[in-house]
Amino acid sequence: MSVRSGGLERKSKAATEIPSSSMADIAFLLLIFFMVSTVFRADKDRPIEFAGAEATEKMDEKQKDILNVWMESNGAVFINDLVRTMDEVSDAVYPQIVGNPNLVISIRSDRNVPYNYVDQLQKELVSAGALKVVFATELEKSMTRQRR
Amino acid sequence: MAVLGNKKSKVSDEIPSSSMADIAFLLLIFFLVTTTFPKDKGLSLVLPEESEQIEVSQKNILHVIVNSDGRIVVRYGDSPQEQTVPADNLKSIWRQGVSENPNLIASVKTHPDASYRFMIDVLDALKAAGSDRISLGLLEV
Repeated sequence: MSVRSGGLERKSKAATEIPSSSMADIAFLLLIFFMVSTVFRADKDRPIEFAGAEATEKMDEKQKDILNVWMESNGAVFINDLVRTMDEVSDAVYPQIVGNPNLVISIRSDRNVPYNYVDQLQKELVSAGALKVVFATELEKSMTRQRR
Repeated sequence: MAVLGNKKSKVSDEIPSSSMADIAFLLLIFFLVTTTFPKDKGLSLVLPEESEQIEVSQKNILHVIVNSDGRIVVRYGDSPQEQTVPADNLKSIWRQGVSENPNLIASVKTHPDASYRFMIDVLDALKAAGSDRISLGLLEV
């Protein structure tokens, strides 16, 4: 290290650039944090076809405040991936509603299920004390309804 | 410049890592943008409590009967006059009814064998017309 310009060169060895080598680590850390902390729905979707409705509105409730009750076209009821008979529904729902009084039941019923089963399901939910329900539907525009 | 033994090549022998941050942020933003959370949607309703039984005067009731073939029959309170209507007309019927009588309650009775979607069509029309006083029940056959 020879002094070239009469000793007027900068003494400081500190870099004038912001160190960017750790930026990748920070970004990957964020990426991994979001990947790990993202919660997905607990239960699997059943292969059912929702009824269409124009007045379909989005639910503002948090995921943890929603309990999905699936009903297939033959009337089979599924709660948290477990098949339940109609009599077991209130027993299955009751502990959940006690644990979380804000629980909303999302009735995810096939569009072709006979109404008899849906009525029984409603009675079971009422006897379990689950009064806030949402009939899950697919948003339908009034144009498509006319074509049907 | 030309000193013997000096590397001729100016190419760095390190993998350039300065763009790694850009790549990672690009991935991060891509996933942030493309992740769609399954939003639950539907028609919300509050069911009546088990013990709750309210006597409603017949003149405040709009009977909507859904038959097993999806036919919708509308009847006002205690009047014997029935009319078969398509689900879409229910909106104007409700609006007209509620403007005449603000205490009107829609009582939807569905045939046990009727498809669920017929009941949803009725519920949809009532909700779309702004109704929140809806009673759901089974048609006695």
